[in-house]
Amino acid sequence: MTQSDPIFRLEGVTRRYGNLTALDGIDFVAEDNSYIALLGPSGSGKTSLLRVIAGFETPDKGRIWFQGRDITDLPAHERGIGFVFQNFALFPHLTIFENVAFGLRHGATKVPDAEITDRVRASIDMVGLSGLEDRNPDQISGGQKQRVALARSLVMQPKLVLLDEPLGALDANLRERMQTELRAIRERLDVTFLHVTGSETEALAMGDRVAVLDAGRIIQHGTPDSIYDSPAVSDVAQFLNRFNMFEGSLKDGMFHGAFGAVSVASARPNDTDVYAIRYDRTRIFDADASDLPGPALPVRYLASEYLGSSIIFLFETADHKTVEVDHHLSLGEPRDLTVGQNYVLSWDPAQAIVFGKESAR
Amino acid sequence: MESKVLKPILAVYVGLFILFLYGPFIVLGILSFQQGPEGGPQFPILSWSTYWYQHLFGLTPPSRIAPLPVGEALVRSLTLAFMTMVTATVLGVMAAQAFRKRFRGAGVVFYLIVLGMMVPGVLTGLGTSLLANNVVGIERHWWSTAFLAHVVYTFPFAFLVMLAILNRFDGSVEEASWSLGVSPITTFRKVTFPLIFPGVLSAMLFAFTLSFDEFPRTLFASGRDQTLPLAIYGTFSVEIHPNIFAFGVMTTLFSFALLSVYGILMGLSVRRAKKMAMQEDIA
Repeated sequence: MTQSDPIFRLEGVTRRYGNLTALDGIDFVAEDNSYIALLGPSGSGKTSLLRVIAGFETPDKGRIWFQGRDITDLPAHERGIGFVFQNFALFPHLTIFENVAFGLRHGATKVPDAEITDRVRASIDMVGLSGLEDRNPDQISGGQKQRVALARSLVMQPKLVLLDEPLGALDANLRERMQTELRAIRERLDVTFLHVTGSETEALAMGDRVAVLDAGRIIQHGTPDSIYDSPAVSDVAQFLNRFNMFEGSLKDGMFHGAFGAVSVASARPNDTDVYAIRYDRTRIFDADASDLPGPALPVRYLASEYLGSSIIFLFETADHKTVEVDHHLSLGEPRDLTVGQNYVLSWDPAQAIVFGKESAR
Repeated sequence: MESKVLKPILAVYVGLFILFLYGPFIVLGILSFQQGPEGGPQFPILSWSTYWYQHLFGLTPPSRIAPLPVGEALVRSLTLAFMTMVTATVLGVMAAQAFRKRFRGAGVVFYLIVLGMMVPGVLTGLGTSLLANNVVGIERHWWSTAFLAHVVYTFPFAFLVMLAILNRFDGSVEEASWSLGVSPITTFRKVTFPLIFPGVLSAMLFAFTLSFDEFPRTLFASGRDQTLPLAIYGTFSVEIHPNIFAFGVMTTLFSFALLSVYGILMGLSVRRAKKMAMQEDIA
């Protein structure tokens, strides 16, 4: 199979809980053998979507296709889709070995004992847990549980594994290590991962493709850099948490905001008028500076956060909106700022992204 | 300040509670060691002996006091309690399992089930006997009509115990099993059941002891052959001898033995439950 064959396809999938529409006519095509990150804030319906694909819940409307076959009415245990839970959901009464062997032992097709042993050992080895086979789930750490959950799923050789915020229960350090490992493990096997997360950094770091879900709809789908560099609507820019977003009004090619009026070359269709400039494209100037590259936003300096490779400076505008500036340390030493002092922020208007009701121009 | 007053009061309260709980049994226990055959249910004890225990097993020389007619009744009651226990527990587990999903009329069905333990026992017994005799037209037996009455009575208890257990049960382990290609039936056998086993044990214990003790429902529903509580009650109408007390001590010891088995099995499975709880805490 080449990479462009779809592994699964959603057609107008809708799921309602009473009056609440969790999934609102979702269309989605997923490439085979890829890592797809599904980014959405809590309540966006991302877990519902996974549960519908897994077959734990049935959609009210729409069809689900998997490997070219309509599986909408198939029960979960006949779908052959793996699922990794946020709380791992290991079988507490079984050893690690028996946890991983569970699907092979009790599934529909009989697998000989010798083969079970081989496959389970290989799977446990792959996630780096050899030697822990006889432990119980309460005798291993959170990261190890995550690996067991993964091994248990992968030993069934599924073509698609759904991961429901798999790193959410791990501490930051472990999360980064597992990110790398998840990617490496996936690349070794011919399998597609659909990884749901609420963390924009996780989604951008892990996905070959990223889909952004909001209020039960997929509002953007593409490569991480295309999403990062060019968010389709202001909500996406908001989730990415990398943009200073200003409200204002767009009229006749001019955006009027807290920084005055700026001429705008093009705008993306959106429900509201929003002007967005990336944290790391926003620059700091003295209050009386005259050689600004673009619009002037008067601000007061609040505080800074040191992040190792960069520093985040926090400012406050006249209307008490917090504005962030990300200064990468490879660009040189940051300026010395005095807390409470007034400064001016500016940027190259060509690097701004403008969303507007009045879109085309 | 407060605890200086409150604590002694509560302590006295607890003391009284325990006294009333175990007092009758202690009195029975003492009286069961009364001298025989002339000693009766009176204080002070004439002299200590194990006469009534020997009398119970027919080891004493014949006297004017007839042996207790409880042998067959005991077997009957044990059999009935066992049958009731199995049936009520299976039904209870199944019903509670059904209630994990909301279904139409769930509220009504819930109250209909629970009502079974509220309805006065005598009425249920009488009703069962009338239904059997006059409406359906079958004979009453301890293993048919009384059995039904016992199941109707104990099933709600088993149901409520299982409902409480399944309420706390994290269904994601079942979903994990399905996603591994394991059918719902195998999932129930291999995942759900082992994890809810402590609850099943409790439900079984409830059903067994309630059925073993049951009097009012059995009185009308059991027909000719008596169960143990009925047989014991029957002996009261003649004259009370300490052999009943000896028998009471024996059955209580039997109950304790049953509880110990329960305790051991529970201890074994609680270790599992702890593991499950730990896993939930992380989530």
